[in-house]
Amino acid sequence: MTVTTGVAASRRIIRRGAAFRDAGPPVALVVIFLIFAALSPQFRSIANVQNIVDAAAVLAVVTCGITFVLMMGSIDLSSAGVMGASALTVSLLVANNRNDNDFGLAGIAAAIVLGCAFGFLSGLALVLLKVPSFMATLGVSAIGLGVATLMFAGVQPNISDAMLKSWAIDRFLGLSYLTWIAAACILAGWLIQRYTRLGRYAFAIGGAEEVLTLSGVRVKPYKVAVFTVAGAFYGLAGVMVTSQLGAGLVQAGNGYDFSAITAAVVGGTLLTGGRGGILHSTVGVLLVMVLTNGLVQIGVSPYWQGGVEGLIVVAAVAAAVIPQRRRNQVVK
Amino acid sequence: MPLIALVGLVVALTVADPDFLTLRSLTAVSRTAAPLIVLAAGATLIVLCGGIDLSIAALASLSTVLLALWLPDLGGLATPVVIAVAAAIGAVQGLAHVLLRIPSFIVTLGGMSILSAVALVVSGAGTVRVVDDSTVKWLELYVAGYVPMSAAMALLVVALIAAVVKATPLHSWISATGYSESAARLAGTPVDLVKIGAFCVSGACAGFAAVMLVSRQFSGGPTMADNLLLPAVAAIVVGGTAITGGHGSLWRSLAGALVVTLLRVGLPIVGVPSAYEQILYGVIIVVAVALTLDWSKVSIIK
Repeated sequence: MTVTTGVAASRRIIRRGAAFRDAGPPVALVVIFLIFAALSPQFRSIANVQNIVDAAAVLAVVTCGITFVLMMGSIDLSSAGVMGASALTVSLLVANNRNDNDFGLAGIAAAIVLGCAFGFLSGLALVLLKVPSFMATLGVSAIGLGVATLMFAGVQPNISDAMLKSWAIDRFLGLSYLTWIAAACILAGWLIQRYTRLGRYAFAIGGAEEVLTLSGVRVKPYKVAVFTVAGAFYGLAGVMVTSQLGAGLVQAGNGYDFSAITAAVVGGTLLTGGRGGILHSTVGVLLVMVLTNGLVQIGVSPYWQGGVEGLIVVAAVAAAVIPQRRRNQVVK
Repeated sequence: MPLIALVGLVVALTVADPDFLTLRSLTAVSRTAAPLIVLAAGATLIVLCGGIDLSIAALASLSTVLLALWLPDLGGLATPVVIAVAAAIGAVQGLAHVLLRIPSFIVTLGGMSILSAVALVVSGAGTVRVVDDSTVKWLELYVAGYVPMSAAMALLVVALIAAVVKATPLHSWISATGYSESAARLAGTPVDLVKIGAFCVSGACAGFAAVMLVSRQFSGGPTMADNLLLPAVAAIVVGGTAITGGHGSLWRSLAGALVVTLLRVGLPIVGVPSAYEQILYGVIIVVAVALTLDWSKVSIIK
């Protein structure tokens, strides 16, 4: 009798712990928002809030992709390279000043497919060659940047495709089309995570891969599939950056890889896998954007942005690891 | 293996361009290779312990800025001070890794971001010119008339670290940490100290590489060394040091760094556009890691 109540009690404590953990990032978001709103009159203007949400669009899409990888307990550093390659691809396939192509939506689809291909490559390197994901994706990122540089060929392709350009300019209900695309991505990501086998298994792989393997699930195809899905998100993000810049640049994805990891980790997705998810990461994206925007508004140099993100990542990972310090004695 | 690749590359380049095997181009190659050798040597220690240091390039960039800023005031003292500061930054990362129990690649990824930001702010996001470079100029001299001083110093650094590691219990401590950390801990190896020490040496090496870069370019810049990260990682894995830790050596990374430099110099000679350089690094890293991996250790790869 006492045993059962003990178990029930501990379970309740665990559940309360989980609820507390899940509530942390949203509460932090609100608190930080209120602090900046109190400090800076420009920050609390409607226009600035629109700004923050619009600026979060690309990062949100990248973070959607990386969240699936992080849920498995792997990591993905390839987004910068993949985004560069897809940005160049789409800018050379839609109407532009370099060639006579005008494929419109098909060009955008091609860029996303290219992103998938890069993700597939990362997945294969992980599963077949057994290269740890951070190394494999570092390599794939370099390959992506190289491919982008080859396509760039010294002349910047400026896009003249009306539809792609309008994505960044035209607004619907006060927010740019890109923001709505990002919202659709978040919804799609959430649906994948919640209702498909892929999303469920990504969680399970992160939680206990051995158990999953022992229960007869062939894990490898799902790992490759997760990296491929992530690649698709990066491909789309590359397209979105191209729409913002009006041109295809090799550096389109510069910094997004790290910002996305920051956002996901801050939102409560553990690097060890098995925790968090798309909605957590979305909160993380908003947190990062509010923080960087707010710091600029109160007069901190924008050059500090990377430093702030670095500190946040280390702090967030450290905070997440503290409860399980004993469990993973070996940390590489 | 890396030695065979090295000899093969030299032969291939000589066949492609008979002028390659002349004194002038060889000194040029060794001078280009020097900062890379030093960076790779430092980071090799960390890889041997089973970790990784992704912040070396950013730390070197920051160090070039600091050196360029401090040279006018500190003169000859600036070089040791910068190296000491870089070593301290490395040690801090090591401490964060060991005490907070964060995976090394996350600590150093965060470190990379923080150090880049500091470099940007300190330098005002611009190049810092060095007006009076008399105190770092000695690296541009030649030993015995032919060997560039920077290359000789790079060799000296590798030899020194390798000798110290070999002559002390460090050798067995490092490989024990790399092969099986929990076993090493149970056997009483000061695992935490070894790791912090490795990060500290890696930081110092990044600082020294920065001195070399400043002496060659007469300036410091917040992104000056950033493009050395991939070549340095490639040098380590091409040398045959296993990313899983334990297996490998500094001399292997020296050979790896030379291979990477030759590839970099050689591509234009063979007529391949330098845009392929990046792709090559990517492929090299993935393939070399796969080949040198300790498969017995890796039942689950994340």
